Amino acid sequence: MLSSFIYAFAFYAVVGTAIALVAMRGIRDQEDYYIGGRRISGVVSALTYAATTYSAFMMVGLVGLTYASGVGAFGFELFYLVGTLLLLSYYAPKVWSYGKERGYITPGDMVADRYGKPVARIMAIVVAVALIPYISVQLIGVSLILEKNSGLSFSGGVLLSAFLIAFWAFLGGLRGVAWTDAFQGVFMLLLAVSTVIWVYNYGFSESSFFQELPKLGELLVVPNKIWTPMRFISLTVPWFFFALTNPQVFQRLYIPKDGVALRRMVILFGAFGLIYTILVTFLGLELRVLSEIGIFPGVKDRDAVTPALLGMMPAWLGVAVSLSIFAAAITTANSIVLTLSSMISRDLFDSKSLYAGKLMIVLLTTAIAVFALQRPGYIVELSVLSSTLLLCQLPLIFGVFHWKAGKELSAGLTLIAGFTLAILLYFTKANPLGIPASIWVLTVSFAVFFVSSKMEKT
Amino acid sequence: MKLMEGIVVIAAMIVPFIAIKSHDFLTYTYWTAVTTLYLLYIALSRW
Repeated sequence: MLSSFIYAFAFYAVVGTAIALVAMRGIRDQEDYYIGGRRISGVVSALTYAATTYSAFMMVGLVGLTYASGVGAFGFELFYLVGTLLLLSYYAPKVWSYGKERGYITPGDMVADRYGKPVARIMAIVVAVALIPYISVQLIGVSLILEKNSGLSFSGGVLLSAFLIAFWAFLGGLRGVAWTDAFQGVFMLLLAVSTVIWVYNYGFSESSFFQELPKLGELLVVPNKIWTPMRFISLTVPWFFFALTNPQVFQRLYIPKDGVALRRMVILFGAFGLIYTILVTFLGLELRVLSEIGIFPGVKDRDAVTPALLGMMPAWLGVAVSLSIFAAAITTANSIVLTLSSMISRDLFDSKSLYAGKLMIVLLTTAIAVFALQRPGYIVELSVLSSTLLLCQLPLIFGVFHWKAGKELSAGLTLIAGFTLAILLYFTKANPLGIPASIWVLTVSFAVFFVSSKMEKT
Repeated sequence: MKLMEGIVVIAAMIVPFIAIKSHDFLTYTYWTAVTTLYLLYIALSRW
């Protein structure tokens, strides 16, 4: 299996590199490098938005979560999608036009314009702390799958992933990332369709999925033992605001070439997200039904469901699905690395140099690979915490559009208070009043912002 | 208006927590339908 994976991987790497080489032509400044010169078509914008959003979590984590917990996992993922559509349909045109009029390149540019440069610096640190462990964990997960199913060693998987993340972003900037995302996004979708069809033909030749489905019982309704209302809220709230709080997707609101492309981006992303979510969760339900009727082994660890499936597939399909999971991790990671490099070099260090940005890509990717290779326990904890850590930015972003009060001091205080609270609640495992940490972080961040901005005004 | 839209969409999404208790594909189908309709609404009339 190793040799067939190596052939497939070599083909994938050559195609991606060719795309990145074409994309690097005509890059003159940071606007070209980080946001594609604001000249990206609606279809490519949609595919890069989707490929950036949908990581290896989908084919590994969400398949396993649906297998273990039932339809609640589908609801959780669709809550994210409707939240994103709601926010994008309202805020995306505003962010896009502000960005174009005022020359914003990073999410921090908008924050600096409104609240001052020091706030953008704090924000760059917050997002780096939140997202570097998150990408490292993506690399760890995908390398473990490759190790088990393709024979590639764990460290080989981490180094290959890190190399491609840095290389494609380094060469082509946003355009390189967006174009490689587009082809990988289509590949991810095709492989998800193929997997669902293969499992259906493999497992339901003598019985019907819908006939056997009621055997899942409580897993077909919410709430159930796993999806309690409180658990659902605690997981859903940070993801509901993902479109505004995660800089790698926020920065993509600057890239469409015109208003029509922006609209197309949002709608096509929504269609991609809905189809992909249906496929992935349907796969999880299929596998669970097959476990109930004894065709698929019962899997206790939910993250082991997809690897178990890969082990049962024909070698060619197993290799292709492994590669699609690898692609999902790469597309998310290189987008985050590019956005982080723009925020750290531009917002934190005030550098307008392209070389500084490129150097930052190499440094960030090296740090991510080192974290992934060392696998310290706190990385996993920080990565789980990432979406909650990023919530402290939300009052500032809403403040740009809806709240005139609030300047440097109140915005800085909000970021520090929300970020510190998220870390404290997570590491002390405190659960005041039984309310989830994400709700506390959101409430306290907004409260600090409103109170301190009123005081700052007076 | 947008706030009302958000409230309506979230209310529609939490219906299975209150009103759907059958052990079949209804919850899954319901959530698919709500999300599809909302996407169509954004694509056709909202933007």
